[in-house]
Amino acid sequence: MTWLYLHFRHLLLDHIDRSRHDTGPLAVLSHSTRQVLQACPRARELGIQPGMALKTALNLAPELVMIHADDARQGEILEQQAHWLYRYMDRITLHPPDGLLAEAASVQRLYGDLETLRQKLQQALDERQLNATLTTGATPLSARLLARAGVHCCTGEASHMLGQLEALPLAHAGFDERTLQRLTRLGLTTLGQVFRLPAPELARRLAPETLAYVQRLQGQRPDPQTSWQPPHHFRQRADFSLPVEKAQGLLFALQRMLSELENDLQWRQQDTDSLLLILHHYRREPSRLRVRTTGPEHRADAFLGLLRIRLEQHPLQAPVETLELKVTRFLGRQAATNTDLLGEATDPGEAWHTLVSRLQARLGEQALSHLAPAADHRPERAWSTRSLTTGHQGHSGAMAHLPLRPLWLLPHPSPLDTTPEAWLSSPERISGGWWDGARVMRDYYIARLATGQLAWVYRDNQQNWFVHGWFG
Amino acid sequence: MNDLLNILFTDARLWHGHRRKTTTPAPDPTGFAALDEQLGGLGWPRGALSECLLDAPGIGELQLVLPLLRRVTHRKQVVFWVNPPMTPYAPALAREDIDLDQLVVVRTESHPDLLWTLENCLRSTVTGLVMAWPGTMAARDIRRLQLAAEAGQSSCILFQSRREAHQSSPAALRLELAPDPSLDLRINILKRRGSWPGEGCTLPLKARAGQSNREPSATVIRGPWPDGPAP
Repeated sequence: MTWLYLHFRHLLLDHIDRSRHDTGPLAVLSHSTRQVLQACPRARELGIQPGMALKTALNLAPELVMIHADDARQGEILEQQAHWLYRYMDRITLHPPDGLLAEAASVQRLYGDLETLRQKLQQALDERQLNATLTTGATPLSARLLARAGVHCCTGEASHMLGQLEALPLAHAGFDERTLQRLTRLGLTTLGQVFRLPAPELARRLAPETLAYVQRLQGQRPDPQTSWQPPHHFRQRADFSLPVEKAQGLLFALQRMLSELENDLQWRQQDTDSLLLILHHYRREPSRLRVRTTGPEHRADAFLGLLRIRLEQHPLQAPVETLELKVTRFLGRQAATNTDLLGEATDPGEAWHTLVSRLQARLGEQALSHLAPAADHRPERAWSTRSLTTGHQGHSGAMAHLPLRPLWLLPHPSPLDTTPEAWLSSPERISGGWWDGARVMRDYYIARLATGQLAWVYRDNQQNWFVHGWFG
Repeated sequence: MNDLLNILFTDARLWHGHRRKTTTPAPDPTGFAALDEQLGGLGWPRGALSECLLDAPGIGELQLVLPLLRRVTHRKQVVFWVNPPMTPYAPALAREDIDLDQLVVVRTESHPDLLWTLENCLRSTVTGLVMAWPGTMAARDIRRLQLAAEAGQSSCILFQSRREAHQSSPAALRLELAPDPSLDLRINILKRRGSWPGEGCTLPLKARAGQSNREPSATVIRGPWPDGPAP
């Protein structure tokens, strides 16, 4: 068995660093001890070291941007990394707050050798601007220890891995304080020396737990790992070092998240038609933006175009601290039809979806509608609007049997205040609606008004005259 | 010198400018013989703006565009109605053999939204016709729409008030519409491509009142309403 461990040395720092524009020094602080935990290269240049007190750090760099360490947040970010790692390897275990363990022997044949796999992973890490130590080990625990000690060793050879492990100083071996002290007093400095101690002696002199630990490390005792399963949704978040006040500032981070989404959809071979964007503010209810496309879509620039329109229409209510993108609805992919081999002709269906999505993103979904006739005698109920997202109705040819109706219908009948000049039709009596309470008793006429307009007028049973439509 | 030119003319590699085919798309005939004749067979220009100027609805302005609507929807192109002043009545449109699936009604709240919508609709390849009731528009905006229509090769008809008639406009075709006592539509061509303005014609649109050749009010029952505002 070969295990591969990815140790993210400063995950939170990398995560925040990649979604910011400025290049000032950045440090992650522990909330309780007020000490620097992680520092970005710029901060290290200024002399800020991990373990330094906050006051010292601030004296060295007054413009230092500070982020408070938050294990829950880092756990979420770690899970995001597991998402993309899952595309390369399948048996993944999360080791919060900063490590991912994956079983490498089973995928070794797929990639040829471990070196190819390492290169692919390193490339994926570079694309995401993340720093991680990639190390292999014969047991899960040994891979973890070597990676955390910063040993870059990526090999499938058992002897080499064992050699690296045996040379590991005891301080990096993960023993608790008391055991470490006792082992050091015995004159031991490396793990290899501990391995050579007889097992019963080790258990008797130290503790049975220490023996179990050493045996797990050597692979003499089982160390089962529960493998992580990717959830069936997509979730990405971007945290900002300083709150973003303008929508423009979000677009940079959005671009990266959407291209991650595009990769994810590509990998799933699925599309989506609705995105949920959650903007977290400081001490305020988060605002939620839902963006829908009319057709299945997976391209990042299409989503970005829609979100840009949406953000232009809805200015930010408050500065944004965290941006979260969620997709829970996935649709099967359909091959584009009607396109020629070289893709010269544009697909009319696609052009239609693009246009309608854009219009809906800016004007709102209610702003666009189809018209449809409805089966009712009352003129105001003889038509309906239909949303564009429902499919085409397959409308049945000309309806010449329909009675003569005006092309314009007034939303509300307006009282007729002038006497028409000419009457052009015999009355048409429409009486109905007794079954649903909206009773209508009207005699309709076609009349020409003095202004030259051709009107559809009616007289109700109270002898009042109204204009209900125009023959436009 | 002349010999040299003759040799050049026979060379197949030389491109002759005057033989260039016109790439402007075929225009859509209006469907009314009298108007087509006036427009010199050009009909509704495609890839350009048209304006219809009228005072009040109900004088036959939609009848004027019905043949175009019918043709565009049967071509399976989309027709956008942007901010119509009233409800386009679906049963009447269906009766006129217009494919309702191809009609989209768009309502916008602000003027910038309206311009943005028109421009996007016109630029799209799915659009066949955009009909808009924009109110007053600056010449600069109309010019922008004109460019968008050219890019998308779609037609656009703006319905505006007759008060705009004296204003100049970059639209390719401008028609002034007025009612006629005999229910016909009088059209005064304010501007057209390839000819002088000032001419006009009358379109017979009596049929929209449900009677083709009968004399109005001869067969209609009058009364019996002794009082009230009506007859």
